[in-house]
Amino acid sequence: METFGIDFKELPVKGNTRKRLYGSVELDRIKEHIRKFKEVGFNHLVAISCIDWIDDGKFEVVYHLWSYEELVDIFLSVMIDRDNPSLQSVKELFPQAETYEREMHEMFGVYFDGNDRLTEFILEDWDGPPPMRKDFDTKKYAEERFYSVPPVGDVDEGV
Amino acid sequence: MSKEMSYRDWTEVERLLSRRSLWIIHFCTGCGAMEMPAIMTSRYDMERFGIMPMATPRQADIMLVTGYVAVKTLKRIVRVYEQMQDPKYVVAFGSCPINGGLYWDSYNTIKQLDKYIPVDIYIAGCMPRPEAIMDALLKLMDMIDRGEADGWRRYKEQFEVYKANQNRVFKRWD
Repeated sequence: METFGIDFKELPVKGNTRKRLYGSVELDRIKEHIRKFKEVGFNHLVAISCIDWIDDGKFEVVYHLWSYEELVDIFLSVMIDRDNPSLQSVKELFPQAETYEREMHEMFGVYFDGNDRLTEFILEDWDGPPPMRKDFDTKKYAEERFYSVPPVGDVDEGV
Repeated sequence: MSKEMSYRDWTEVERLLSRRSLWIIHFCTGCGAMEMPAIMTSRYDMERFGIMPMATPRQADIMLVTGYVAVKTLKRIVRVYEQMQDPKYVVAFGSCPINGGLYWDSYNTIKQLDKYIPVDIYIAGCMPRPEAIMDALLKLMDMIDRGEADGWRRYKEQFEVYKANQNRVFKRWD
């Protein structure tokens, strides 16, 4: 398999005979690498996921690519700064990336340069910080937003 | 016969008829919808009691809220509820619409449904068995007979309070 100079590490997987390879890529070369892997057969973008490494001050964005010819999963990981999270969009390579990027923008506050549809997605009427960040206190937010709503009249307990 | 008398009699007839043909709006949120096929089909067969599923809000009498209610879903629930014709009844089904259930600290589910729309009867459990649902529907029929299921009247009387609560979680209505 062509690796394009990336040092891949095989991940131990239980009950799955297919290989899973994990490799780190520099921030400015991620789009170029995805394009190269797409050309050699990794033409299925399975998912894009985001991990909040709050102690390191980093977000890790992982692109999951699958090849139907080699039957291999590769995970391309890129670290971005947590305070100013910005990445290049891969929308032109994989149109479906737009939806993943919208979700990540809403849930983690990651900005994707080149994606013009980073609008409100799943969270309607949202006014808080991105909820999937680890410093977001979901219990405190729920108390402020939902438990503070007063009950109406006498609460009927049913029969 | 006085006017008051005839009005009372007519209300009783209305209740008698309406409790025997309750149609449930097909609005399934969350996981509770899984229990609906069991009570609709031959095992429990709710049509024995004149209860039927209905696809449109205007012909429906009961609204079953069958699971957790996200903010986005609540907006649709309120709209569907307001489209239904009087008299209309709401059944809070499972733990989630009663007190939040599993999602008690979730950032995007409302916790108590009865703060936003009036609820007539609650079914506790996660999930309630089909027997519990049948029991609740039969109890609701009795409540209608006695005139106790008056959620739709409470919604009219305290419309401003309910609207104020709804507007606390919604920013816009489009």
